[in-house]
Amino acid sequence: MHLKKNRIFDIIVYIISFLFFTTLIILLSGIFFQTSAHLFFKELENHSLWNSVLLSFKLSFIVISINLIIGIPVAYILSFKKSKISFLLDIISTLPLTTSPLVIGFAVLITMGSLNPIGKFFIDNGLKFVFTPQGIVLVQLIISFPFFVNIVKTSFDSINRKMIDLSKTLGASSFDILFKIIIPLSYNGIIAGLAMSWSRSIGEYAATQMVSGVIPNLTETAPIEVFVKTSYGNYPAAIAIAGILMIISFFSLGIFKYFNYKTGIKNSGSNR
Amino acid sequence: MKLLEIKNIHKSFYDKKVLDGVNLEIEKGEISSIFGFSGEGKSTVLKIICGILKQDEGDVFINGKNINNMESYKRRTPLVMDEPLLFSNMNVIENIEFGLKLNKSHKEKKNNKEIEARGEIERSGNKFYSPKEIMELLGITGLEKRYPSEISMGQAQRISLARALMVNPDIILMDEPFSNLDIISKVKVRKLIKDINKELNVSILLVTHDIEDVMNLSDKMFILNEGKIQDSGYPKDVLKKPSSIDTAFLIGTENILEGIVSEIRQNDNLMKIRVKIQNESKKELYDYNKMNLYEKKSRNNNGNEINSEIVMEADFNINFETGERVYMAVRPEDIMILREDRGMSAGVKENRFSGKIISSIFTSRMMEIIVETEKYLNFKILIPFHAYEVMNLFESKAVNISLKKSSIHLIKKKNKL
Repeated sequence: MHLKKNRIFDIIVYIISFLFFTTLIILLSGIFFQTSAHLFFKELENHSLWNSVLLSFKLSFIVISINLIIGIPVAYILSFKKSKISFLLDIISTLPLTTSPLVIGFAVLITMGSLNPIGKFFIDNGLKFVFTPQGIVLVQLIISFPFFVNIVKTSFDSINRKMIDLSKTLGASSFDILFKIIIPLSYNGIIAGLAMSWSRSIGEYAATQMVSGVIPNLTETAPIEVFVKTSYGNYPAAIAIAGILMIISFFSLGIFKYFNYKTGIKNSGSNR
Repeated sequence: MKLLEIKNIHKSFYDKKVLDGVNLEIEKGEISSIFGFSGEGKSTVLKIICGILKQDEGDVFINGKNINNMESYKRRTPLVMDEPLLFSNMNVIENIEFGLKLNKSHKEKKNNKEIEARGEIERSGNKFYSPKEIMELLGITGLEKRYPSEISMGQAQRISLARALMVNPDIILMDEPFSNLDIISKVKVRKLIKDINKELNVSILLVTHDIEDVMNLSDKMFILNEGKIQDSGYPKDVLKKPSSIDTAFLIGTENILEGIVSEIRQNDNLMKIRVKIQNESKKELYDYNKMNLYEKKSRNNNGNEINSEIVMEADFNINFETGERVYMAVRPEDIMILREDRGMSAGVKENRFSGKIISSIFTSRMMEIIVETEKYLNFKILIPFHAYEVMNLFESKAVNISLKKSSIHLIKKKNKL
């Protein structure tokens, strides 16, 4: 009787999971059923497609470079300098994760617009954030930053504080500690964070669209290109770009999961 | 000039006062230890010395120089903790050379004048040893290329020690360095610490809650209790002759009695102390000493109040006067069980009691016997196992015991207890 119950349990769990995975795979790969290999590869020869993909790559690499430079000090503050306001700082840095991207794009559009004193200040000093690539970098930065910081912070959190204290007494300054101990011990977390924020940035649509102005070759990123092509009714082109974006996501997620698993294995082992 | 001086250190965490005016002095080349129960702030003292924590009040001096405002990484006071805490991203040799390399890169940045000044310190200080020499000394040669996950705990702890030695330390601070080691590694590491202390003339401050560590390693001990250094001195003296009842309890002194000095005869080198045996007071005392044997007994005798008196003799001691309340402590190994087949020599006439063995436990190498005298006074006695056999002792056997008067240590009674 007991054995039977467990069997039923297994069957239920397997069936539900199976349904979930097949539904998702069918939904996502469904776009390829509406095109042919011939059409797909023909679209890949199109220059405007590659221009948009290249632009997306270029901008997202700028975004993750800035993430890396800003994210590590912020993660350091959140993880090592815990204080009464750490909780608040944590919420603020994670806020873009739960806010609608459209709202973030809208906020940047308004703040950086010429009617706003802040926007006016930047425009007067030659920095335009509306309908420009730097505007896209700005919104994608805001949106992808929490992914990077949270993953790196978790990685920093797992470092033994007694070890950090001890290294101070061996003559390590804060710089030494960051570059020789904390960062090397968090390589996996940093790479996982970069992969995650990069795929978030390259796939970003809503906020980007708000500030992009859809200027071909200048601000027309790959996801926007998908929307534009769809609205013209050019489905084969949209499908081709969507396919490329999907493959990119798959691989960057693969990188993230791989390094995240590695961190997990390392931390579950003895930490000496 | 003292190597390390701590003056009047106070430290509180939130509302809890941990250190309440700690003073201590450490000489160069010595192994000193701070002993006390867990949670008494022993580690806090170390953290203040090496600069990880900042004291609320008080000063720390190294070689006569006030280091209150010196950053932790500039003090040469490396920590060795209960875990080895090796950097898992580096192999063994990189771990050992960690502090050394940092020192070098700091040095390169300084201008010539400062390098000269530093060289002066190094010349006056310890001889410099290479990583290879240190590894050889600690018996970890051959592990250079291994990673921390590939070595044993005992080896890791030795590497941790080597890493601390490489920074040319003024003093090495050790926080319970043996508590995670098995008994064999513990003995080994203990010996190593003694060796490096002798060989390299390196000063060590050890924090421990294990009296064995103190006895086996240190030249000097400090007892930290209730936020203050309660007692200090050579470990053997402190152990044999604790200066206060608190210290006596802390270091696990057995056989403590309470009494009143009734007679002093300086010419005969004699003091007589009257001990009132009262059921209740004795029970309390034993409770405090974490010994529940008497409790059992008193329960059996419930309603049958015992109120008798004995007189103990002790050597003359100028610090006490007639009528003063005192505690007496006798070490368990100093109490003799008298052999039936021999006549009495002069020594064993002192403080003689007859009673019976109520319990005997075999501890490592020694028999721990509890003898209850006719007047319901319990004494713990340690004798070698072979003596136990030769004398044909067993539980419930009637025996005579003697406490040599020179072995009775008197402690002043403070009003506190």
